[in-house]
Amino acid sequence: MIDVLLTAIAYSSGLALAAAGITIIYMSTGTFNFAHASFTAWGFYVVFSLFSLMKGSPYYYMILGGLFGGVLGIATYYIVNRWLLRAGADMVTLMMSTLGVDLVLFAAINIFADYLTYTYHFNPRLFVLSSYDFKLGSLYGIPVSGIVLVSIIIVVIIIAILQLFLTRTKMGIAMRATIENAMLATVLGINPELIYVLSWFLGGFLGGLGGAILSLLFTGTPNIGMLLIVPEFAASIVGGLYSVFGSLLGGFLIGISQKVGIALLGKWLGGWIIVYEPLIPLLIMAVTLLIYPKGLGGLPWGKIYKRLFKGGE
Amino acid sequence: MLPPYVYLILNILVNFAVFLIVTLSLNLETGYAGIPQFGRVLAVLAGAIVAGAVPGRLIAYYIGEKWGAEYANHLYNFPIVDRINREILAPNPLLSIGILLFTLVVAAIFGGILGYLSSYPALRLKEAYLGITLLAFGDALQIIGKYWQPLVGATMGVTVPDPYRCIGIGAEKTIGATLIFLGFAILIYLFVESLGRSPFGRALKAMRDSEVAAEVYGKNIVRLRGWALIIGGAIAAVGGALWAFYAGSMKALTYDRLTWTFWPWAFMMLGGTGNNFGVFVGVLIFSTVRSLIYVYKHALATIIPIKPAWLEYILVGLVIVLISLFRPQGFIPEKPALSVKRKEIERIKEAITSKKAEA
Repeated sequence: MIDVLLTAIAYSSGLALAAAGITIIYMSTGTFNFAHASFTAWGFYVVFSLFSLMKGSPYYYMILGGLFGGVLGIATYYIVNRWLLRAGADMVTLMMSTLGVDLVLFAAINIFADYLTYTYHFNPRLFVLSSYDFKLGSLYGIPVSGIVLVSIIIVVIIIAILQLFLTRTKMGIAMRATIENAMLATVLGINPELIYVLSWFLGGFLGGLGGAILSLLFTGTPNIGMLLIVPEFAASIVGGLYSVFGSLLGGFLIGISQKVGIALLGKWLGGWIIVYEPLIPLLIMAVTLLIYPKGLGGLPWGKIYKRLFKGGE
Repeated sequence: MLPPYVYLILNILVNFAVFLIVTLSLNLETGYAGIPQFGRVLAVLAGAIVAGAVPGRLIAYYIGEKWGAEYANHLYNFPIVDRINREILAPNPLLSIGILLFTLVVAAIFGGILGYLSSYPALRLKEAYLGITLLAFGDALQIIGKYWQPLVGATMGVTVPDPYRCIGIGAEKTIGATLIFLGFAILIYLFVESLGRSPFGRALKAMRDSEVAAEVYGKNIVRLRGWALIIGGAIAAVGGALWAFYAGSMKALTYDRLTWTFWPWAFMMLGGTGNNFGVFVGVLIFSTVRSLIYVYKHALATIIPIKPAWLEYILVGLVIVLISLFRPQGFIPEKPALSVKRKEIERIKEAITSKKAEA
């Protein structure tokens, strides 16, 4: 059970970062970004290809995976999203356009994988990086991989940086203002274009970084983005779609309930249920949307805190 | 043996037929009713599951073979269906037609039920939220079909009884099955087109353009959305069932959201959202290009250094992006609803005012 919990923590961290990326892009531009699947998958492939070419440790290349995701985000904004936002396209068109981007990026990953196969004779369609991870030690006889600790550290650092950025810098405050009311922010001299680029970069960066973390947990295939996009969306939606920290929390809720929940169900009901694991994020997502679309970010945390620790009003 | 170009044409036609049916159903829900149906695969898969699970079991029960959970086990399934095809369906054209039609009706009913269930979120959520919820429904059914063996054989799939066996085997069967498929597609096209011109279709468009205005004019939004989803689901399920019959086997794995939700979206956007003829043209262009890529993949591989399969993704992706950037209304934009001629309206108005003046 402990090994499941450890994997779940690392998985949730990756998921939480990617979901935060989806939320940032959605908050500022109103675009549900399907291309996040490919940003994540590219995070996988940047880490894998650089590690295979230059050796060392997969951790060296994680930040590059994130940056590449950010570059893809900026490219998506300048090539597609910017013009649609200017034309005032509706939500569904924005969403569909990112799906088109996703298909092109998906093909690009496959072409890149073919290239790696022909030129370097790697096997980029089924790679496992987790064997190159370092070991932290063991817990009750179960070896603990480095990714568990590193992923948590990365999430904490990201939370700290985001918090500082959004509350202490002019740029971050301008970003919050634009999300709150783009028109009013423009009147105050904030350039919304800059904010949109920034949020696409941040979103892409988090998506790529999430993928880089997950590359040490999952077997890498070009399809990995399509498998991960649903839990990512689920985490973002459970988080409430209007709160970055909510979606980080949502990532952990989805990740833990997916990995630990299915292990528990497998124990109670028998092993046959294990394969239905992908249903869990789908169900949580659908139920959240139907019952409480505001999600975790919409809960009155202040009131809950008061009631729990100060014994009500 | 037929010459290769005949196979190419048959391939184009059958791809055209199945995607025309699915895309028309999508157009009814998205183009007419304005529901972002990102879970088209749900009803298509339901239809395919009905084709894989129902007719074979019925006949197996009738001839005393295993028809319970074992039916879907590939060890038993193949010999049973083979026996059904050879002994029951091949010598009985009438029974074959009956089985085909019966299965399509059952598939339509199941698709309609799923559409009705989808109307629960469709009344509560909007735009992208609704789209994501419907996408979740579609994915959920695929996961169940992929892993629950007693239904349709999980990853191994099941063999589907072949109602076209009575036409023959080999070339004449392929031609016959393709033409029947095409016939159904054209029937559905005519049905959807007349539905779109009917008061119901106009009410859907009115609802899409302004829900409040439609309600003011006494249209029941709940009922309109529900019926759009039910009819759309039923049509898509018929498409899925026909496809499973044509392919001769049914694996839930192959019914993914990319092929059966997003590609129809791309076809619809290319042709013209809200316009059935546009959808017709869009699907025709795409299925021709897809079949050409598929048939000439070896020739293509020598010209361009990438695999043709990825070329297909790039093509669909670029079409989606370019259409939404430069021509959001599609190749053939939606026409305003047909109405009575201006002169006719004035004549009626004249008649009414003169009547009032008399009274």
